[in-house]
Amino acid sequence: MNPKKIILCPECDLLLEMSSVEEGEKLLCPRCGAILGAPVKDSVEKVLALTSAGLLIYVPAIFLPLLTFDAAGIESSGSIADSFLALINTHFYFTGLMVFLTAILIPLVKLVMLFIVAASLYTGRSSRKTAVLFRLYHHLDEWGMLEVYMIGILVTIIKMLHMAHVNYDVGFYCFIGLLAATLGSAALMDKKLFWDEIDKQALAREQKEGILPCRRPEPNNGPPALSTQGRP
Amino acid sequence: MNNRQNDIACNVGQGPVTGKEAGLMICHYCHKVVSCHDYDEATICPRCCATVHTRKPGSITYTWALVLTSLILLFPANLLPIMQVDYLGSQEYSTIMDGIIYFFKEGSYGIGIVILTASVLVPVFKIAGIMLILLSIHFRWKTWLRHKTMMFRFIEFIGRWSMLDIFVIALLTVLVNFGFFSTISAASAATYFCGVVISTMLAAITFDTRLIWDTCIPPNREEE
Ligand SMILES: [Zn+2]
Ligand SMILES: [Zn+2]
Repeated sequence: MNPKKIILCPECDLLLEMSSVEEGEKLLCPRCGAILGAPVKDSVEKVLALTSAGLLIYVPAIFLPLLTFDAAGIESSGSIADSFLALINTHFYFTGLMVFLTAILIPLVKLVMLFIVAASLYTGRSSRKTAVLFRLYHHLDEWGMLEVYMIGILVTIIKMLHMAHVNYDVGFYCFIGLLAATLGSAALMDKKLFWDEIDKQALAREQKEGILPCRRPEPNNGPPALSTQGRP
Repeated sequence: MNNRQNDIACNVGQGPVTGKEAGLMICHYCHKVVSCHDYDEATICPRCCATVHTRKPGSITYTWALVLTSLILLFPANLLPIMQVDYLGSQEYSTIMDGIIYFFKEGSYGIGIVILTASVLVPVFKIAGIMLILLSIHFRWKTWLRHKTMMFRFIEFIGRWSMLDIFVIALLTVLVNFGFFSTISAASAATYFCGVVISTMLAAITFDTRLIWDTCIPPNREEE
């Protein structure tokens, strides 16, 4: 119907015409500079590969010891899960909960969600549920803080460098892998392509099976209420 | 530069320039454009089933409330001790500032600056920045719109980095556990500090950047 596709800038509400973008280029809003599109080649395949790698490495990265500090013959080591338990054991429940959510639970949930979305896109089976899942992924996005934790590990190492001998354990290398997989999957995900593909596949499915898509609430309780209440 | 921007901004035609004026709105999650219904400002997105609003409802109120909450929490977070060190039976408490001063005295300026930025400058900059934007919307200051949007994007990006100090303390609690000789644990400010991080992040989420641009009639229209 529309020969030129109309889009709105999500950050300044400017009305714009969609224009084509090449892979590796970015489409910016002329008024506020928001990124409106940044296509990535083979985005679905890349995201699928990275999230499956991330899921495989998740358990060793979180539960195996990261570092061992050796001070005058006494050794102490710990994993990311231990750092959460230590806060709980010293009765810092709120802080512990924050660490649990941002460094342990949400990174996992994000990987699982993105894996399911990419897998269902890859196999062509996405439905409206995939769309809801992908939306929840955006909700959780900034609450997963693995890269902040990584800098935290580096600060800890530097802080202890002259007080104790620092040994790097298996968990440390697994954690770097997990971080790379998480950051890579987020960077290589072409949001626009994902949404368009999910919508296309879900529409095809709904048409085939005769399911109604999610709709706006029926207009019967909309405008009349205003006009009838106002008039005697 | 400015002329070019205006050219692109009006290439849609003489008609409405923003979605709000055109009777269109965009789904905040999947960016699908849907039409507003004149009786209702909210509808369901046909693509991802989210509720779509022309502007986020109650954005200014929520953001003010959350920014003021974080401003209040900022004081105990910085003034109370955040870390407790037990060394050979004696207890020592240190605040965030003590930790930073320690690094500067030791000569590790790089790491001192990293912690100073993440734990002190970032929260202060976030709170001040969001308040400035909110005030500029309230008084309808029509200048520096693009810069304000860029500043907000930067605030959104840096928000999570304040958790750095909490992660360091959590790791030190586990790793510095040499029995009687030395142990480290968190102290009361940690809870307040988490509160600051959460409330500033939520303030950035509840804020709607389009409100910055609503303060102005687009420049090409003013000229007419
Ligand atoms: Zn824009
Ligand atoms: Zn949507």
